[in-house]
Amino acid sequence: KAKQKTLEQNEMKVKTYSPQAYKFYIEQHVENVLKYYNQRITRQSQLEKEMAKVGLSDEAQQQMRRMLHQKESNYIRLKRAKMEKHHFTNIKTLG
Amino acid sequence: MSFLFGSRSNKTFKPKKNIPEGTHQYDLMKHAAATLGSGNLRLAVVLPEGEDLNEWVAVNTVDFFNQINMLYGTITEFCTETSCPVMSASPKYEYHWADGQTVKKPIKCSAPKYIDYLMTWVQDQLDDETLFPSKIGVPFPKNFLTIAKTILKRLFRVYAHIYHQHFKEVIQLNEEAHLNTSFKHFIFFVEEFHMIERKELAPLQELIMEKLTRKISLSGSFN
Ligand SMILES: [Zn+2]
Repeated sequence: KAKQKTLEQNEMKVKTYSPQAYKFYIEQHVENVLKYYNQRITRQSQLEKEMAKVGLSDEAQQQMRRMLHQKESNYIRLKRAKMEKHHFTNIKTLG
Repeated sequence: MSFLFGSRSNKTFKPKKNIPEGTHQYDLMKHAAATLGSGNLRLAVVLPEGEDLNEWVAVNTVDFFNQINMLYGTITEFCTETSCPVMSASPKYEYHWADGQTVKKPIKCSAPKYIDYLMTWVQDQLDDETLFPSKIGVPFPKNFLTIAKTILKRLFRVYAHIYHQHFKEVIQLNEEAHLNTSFKHFIFFVEEFHMIERKELAPLQELIMEKLTRKISLSGSFN
């Protein structure tokens, strides 16, 4: 019975983390979430300012906005891909 | 449960009295308190202008999984077959595992077993390129939001179990402010996009209500 238990524990996908690692991770994460939020707004308003300065047509403005949004969207997709790789691929190659 | 959240957000994090002022460790604690207590996560969960909803839900879901995975990883030694023979969130709520795909008939099992099934299942969903495409230009499946809702609903149960059965250990590890911040972020997100049904949130309803009340009383005082 004891042997079976260790076997089961070895198969567990859940890993042990130190509280220090967890706390550091959350602090960094919250900081990054808030930073990202502010920076994204800044990029949008910067674009608006620049466009107003050069006096683009409405159509060209729409095009520019779509380009920025696409760039932002691609960025979070790659971020997600990287996060998953970082957390999962490592574990797989080790195990 | 008002002890879990102070009336001001930074109250949930108090440097321990036995750490002398002026030391490096004290500065670190103060920095952590400032980080966790400041800023506005509620605004940060809102769909950014021009962003695709699926993309936004996907990146946040992966984030929450990582946070909950790590959080549970800090208390695995306390969450055992003996301490938690059933997956519960208070004596009122008990969960049996079924993923609806490979396990159709719910299995009654211990909390560590349940959480292992749950995290493994979530990880498999996140790794599935047809559900969570990671290459630029590949579209999300039509039922993506339904899948994300199921994932978040199940992840919530890990928070519920930890708050109800392991909060003592969380305090002992001095990570309650971090848990509270992480959970707050999670709730802001699921409320914003109606990702989890109210009845599923029942085990932590009091905790959540407190935050919603704060939302009303504090609205207008942001930044
Ligand atoms: Zn437990």
